[in-house]
Amino acid sequence: MANIRRQQPLSRRNPKGGLSQPLRAWSRRHVYSFFSSLGALVRSPLGTLMTVAVLGIALALPLGLWVGLKNVQQVNPATDEFSTLSVFLNAGTKTAEANKLADEILSWSEVDKVTSLSPDKALADFRENSGFAAAVDALTENPLPWVLEIQILDSTESTDENGELQLKQQLELLLERLQALPAVDFAQYDLKWLERLQALMGLGATISRLLAILFAFAVIFVVGNTIRLDIQNRKEEIEVMSLVGATEAFIRRPFLYTGFWFGLLGGLVAVLLVSLSLALINAPLQRLLLSYQSQFELITPGFSGGILVLAGGGLLGLLGAALAVRRHLQNLNPS
Amino acid sequence: MIRFERVSKRYPGSVVALSDVSFHLAAGEMAFLTGHSGAGKSTLLRLIGLLDRPTGGQVFLDGRNLAKVSRRKLPLLRRKVGIIFQDHKLLSDKTVFDNVALPLIIAGVRYQEIRKRVSAALDQVDLLRKVKSMPLALSGGEQQRVGIARAIISNPPVLLADEPTGNLDPDLSADLMTLFCRLNELGTTVLIASHDIALIQQLNRRVLVLEQGRMNNG
Repeated sequence: MANIRRQQPLSRRNPKGGLSQPLRAWSRRHVYSFFSSLGALVRSPLGTLMTVAVLGIALALPLGLWVGLKNVQQVNPATDEFSTLSVFLNAGTKTAEANKLADEILSWSEVDKVTSLSPDKALADFRENSGFAAAVDALTENPLPWVLEIQILDSTESTDENGELQLKQQLELLLERLQALPAVDFAQYDLKWLERLQALMGLGATISRLLAILFAFAVIFVVGNTIRLDIQNRKEEIEVMSLVGATEAFIRRPFLYTGFWFGLLGGLVAVLLVSLSLALINAPLQRLLLSYQSQFELITPGFSGGILVLAGGGLLGLLGAALAVRRHLQNLNPS
Repeated sequence: MIRFERVSKRYPGSVVALSDVSFHLAAGEMAFLTGHSGAGKSTLLRLIGLLDRPTGGQVFLDGRNLAKVSRRKLPLLRRKVGIIFQDHKLLSDKTVFDNVALPLIIAGVRYQEIRKRVSAALDQVDLLRKVKSMPLALSGGEQQRVGIARAIISNPPVLLADEPTGNLDPDLSADLMTLFCRLNELGTTVLIASHDIALIQQLNRRVLVLEQGRMNNG
């Protein structure tokens, strides 16, 4: 055996850096935990990948819904676009009859403008813009009715809530008058559609919030369970570390880091999934919107949104790991 | 350094492992602990190493009553005691280097310093060439020596060994005892549980004898 060199016990070593020595030891331990937790993820790539995929999907659902809502909300049409009424005439109405009716309505005092749209023209527009050309071609007869678009003469100048209310009353009155005409099958004003849309968006927002909470719990539990299994698999290591004097904090730390990584990577996958989906949706959506003659820029989670999801995922992962560690790393030491 | 005052230990649902044991081991002393298997040797070592708490009496380590050490402070005190386990307690998925380095990593020692010390410790147990091996690729005796290197790497003031020569051939056993004696000469308090009577008699040190949980002399 080789000669023995007596080294100073660790605790009595001369601190070169004065006060910063404990701090440096502390940071070295952190660096070790940091890398050992990453090493644990890399050592079982398949398991890591599956967990991250599950977390990614769980986070992508509320994120996707939220982004979708943001996109719908950006369609914030000015009220005057909705101060029009659509009047659908009975099927089989002749061109002459339609024109006569249009002239008659135009003569009413509260009407500003009447645009008539023939079934043939409507079908041609639809065929060109909707992307359903093949389906349109398959039709043997034109199912579309004559439509008269009636622009109301807006007597109110104000655009505040009161003005909106007055406009609504005017529209209601005109609607009743139009409905009473024998040639009219059905009349509606688009403000109703806007009201429904807004109600729908409110519902969507609530659902997305509920989903976000639900899936946040899912992330916590998935990470917690993964960490629990990790702790069980490394019982031997934990015991030995404890035997040679590791503090509970030191033993816990790699697991907490691992939880954080899981959450962070899950968040990254979620952002990628949603961004990819939006990219795929964008082209058909633009074509659809073209048929409505409207311009539209698709909202994506963006950089700040992405960072937020990553940070949120990381925090949820950390929380899940903390719960597992709290539950399963007790009693390392005799009481 | 180590003082037992009327210590007893009973494991729940089983017989009494230790009863009314008192002895004192001064700092820098070296002693053997003998007795038949099941006499309570391992239990006694576990009490010193803070792996268990006594059910009666008091254990003092370096003047501190271990019953009064809080759970938070336990790991720090544990670092003062190097323990060589009968079943080695090595991490099978880590290299010899990582196993031996563990106490230093836990203490937050610089990497360059860790490398130096691991080399020195492995050199002392004559295993420097196995530094990159995995424990399962080593023989029982070699694993035992890796455990010894880990126990001595941070130069703890107290060294406990549970049947350290159990798996070794006579030559290696003698070498190991020489190592323990040298560490003791340099100031380490050493307590070795063993029933290798021949070896113990050669060394002519103090011997504590346990018989069915009781200490006959001390």
